[in-house]
Amino acid sequence: MMATQAMILEHAAAMPAPTWHFLKMNDTAIEIPEGLEISPHVKVSGPAKILKGADDIERAVEGAQEAWSAKHPAPTQQEIAEREAFLAAEVDATYGGTAQSDYQKHADALEASRSLSQAFEHGLGSEAAMFLQRVAGKRVVVEGEAGQNVEVDMIVKSVPEAVSVAAIDVVAKCGAEVNVRVTVDSQDADNGTNGIAGTTIRVFADVGSRVGIERAQTLGEGYIDLDDIALFAQDNAHVTVKQTVLGADVSFTGLAGDLRGQDSNVVVDTRYLGRGMQKRDFNYLLRHHGPRTKCELRANGVLMDECSKTLRGTIDLIRGCKGAEGSESETVLLIDEGVRNKTVPVILCNEDDVAGNHGATIGHIDEKQLFYLASRGLSQEEAEAMFASAIVEQAALDAGSSEIRESVIRLGERLAPGFDEIFEEEEI
Amino acid sequence: MDNMLLICRGLCASAGEKAILHDVDFEMRSGEAHVLMGPNGAGKSTFGHVIMGDPAFQVTGGSIVFDGIDIVGLSTDKRSKAGLFLSFQAPVEIPGVPLRSFLRAMVDAHGLKMKNKEFKGRIKELSAELDMNPAYLDRELGVGFSGGEKKKVEMLQLLLLRPKLAILDETDSGLDVDALSVVSRGMELYRQECGGTLLVITHNTRILERLTVDRAHVMVAGHIVDEGPASLIDEIDAQGFERYETAGLAIEGK
Repeated sequence: MMATQAMILEHAAAMPAPTWHFLKMNDTAIEIPEGLEISPHVKVSGPAKILKGADDIERAVEGAQEAWSAKHPAPTQQEIAEREAFLAAEVDATYGGTAQSDYQKHADALEASRSLSQAFEHGLGSEAAMFLQRVAGKRVVVEGEAGQNVEVDMIVKSVPEAVSVAAIDVVAKCGAEVNVRVTVDSQDADNGTNGIAGTTIRVFADVGSRVGIERAQTLGEGYIDLDDIALFAQDNAHVTVKQTVLGADVSFTGLAGDLRGQDSNVVVDTRYLGRGMQKRDFNYLLRHHGPRTKCELRANGVLMDECSKTLRGTIDLIRGCKGAEGSESETVLLIDEGVRNKTVPVILCNEDDVAGNHGATIGHIDEKQLFYLASRGLSQEEAEAMFASAIVEQAALDAGSSEIRESVIRLGERLAPGFDEIFEEEEI
Repeated sequence: MDNMLLICRGLCASAGEKAILHDVDFEMRSGEAHVLMGPNGAGKSTFGHVIMGDPAFQVTGGSIVFDGIDIVGLSTDKRSKAGLFLSFQAPVEIPGVPLRSFLRAMVDAHGLKMKNKEFKGRIKELSAELDMNPAYLDRELGVGFSGGEKKKVEMLQLLLLRPKLAILDETDSGLDVDALSVVSRGMELYRQECGGTLLVITHNTRILERLTVDRAHVMVAGHIVDEGPASLIDEIDAQGFERYETAGLAIEGK
């Protein structure tokens, strides 16, 4: 049996434009324990292919590259010289001649390469994505042909002392609609066990397609969850991602998206619960290339006990994305004093006529809400417990598949015995 | 004093530096229906909120005795558990909390020992009585609800908790005829099924058409300026509050 070697994936889930290093939130390190059996337990329902070395995504990106290159001819030597002169003058005027940051150099190099495959980034970073791909072995490929509607459900069932990862490629061709729902769950609570579960999902949404990714993680204690997503959206493509993070001792959630096509749209909804000593790490990066592209990142969470959470959300409004709009918002309820919460919204802008918005509501229950709840008999502690329970209950109510719903209810039952009664079918 | 449920004596309250209620004396017997009327800004809603223990207001004098206990020092949740209920003029929205979860937490907090099947059955029954779409139960509390839907939810809570005293604060404001009829139905059910005591705070008489009122009180500028039998409502309906407002100003001038 193949097994993992001890390693640390350094600089994972990194922000493209770092902030102060002393804040210790620019990136994270993912520790992989030694000796975990590489044993993917992945069940797929629906039209999907399981292939070794699948290259559908690569071919789709190559096709997009050709179309993009034809539509965006390489600049002439004169244009390059003019641009460099303009930038040099701007740097002199703005920074007094200060050299570019590493981020700016990287961004300029990426733009100069004109390579879409290089711009196809992973939310947890390339090293973590390669690790996940390696342990997953084969790829699950979900393909929606032009005009086709495809629905696929998957379960990644983690077991103790093992690493169970699914590598998933989603290719939605012109006008296709593809919905993929993934449950990441463990056999039981598995207290004191060691295990890794994860997914690495690549999405190519072609012109006018609609892609929905729903991922719910309800792992037991002792597990590490790795959730890596890479998105690429062509003209008028619409991608929605719904992430629910409820279980596992440590979870890493990363999503990177390239809104290359004009009028493409990405919406990400994240719901999370942190309790005990759990660690939650989120990294989002949406790069707007196309004109009038839109993205919206929404996160809602409840943190209690002594858990910690970091959320990095970067919206990059790149030269050429005129009319683009990006927004990110987070609502976090901090229940206990021992909770550590870090939220870093970043909006990078290198284009006129764009909108970038961010907002965060971080704190305790609003006074008016608290009075209302008290007037119904709930003490502050009872009100806070209700918010924590409600996030699990809402996840079950909103579940897009019976598998997700059942796994969320099982987790709710582990947290509060009797929880499952709420969802018992009513007698007719 | 027999059967007296609520007694306020010399009640004074303020919001920060601003005094709002002045020396209010007020009594209600168990099982009665009272109405508190007055022009806008008279302090009627403040009175309801002060009885419920809203921390936005401070009691600066007097007493509130509910069911034989002085509740001025009690927290709002304990007042609720003691049997007080306040229906809000503008119920708050609580994103992230499904209505069903909230109702369950409310029932548990009151120690009603309702098993899940019984809870679901009761909710279903009340939803039907109040003409409320059960789909609301899975929606986040108040989020995207119309004014009428919010008031239905308030009535549902009232009937679920069956408090000893319900204070309905401007429950009729902003409602169309259909929604008003549902609120009236809620009040009737509360009176019939729970034998509940009701204090209706309002500044118009529409909501009172289907309610047998035992006593009416008039508040102007934070003072109780008149009280009497139900016929007082008709007098106010015909003459308005002008004469009281003059009297209120006179009291203020003292």
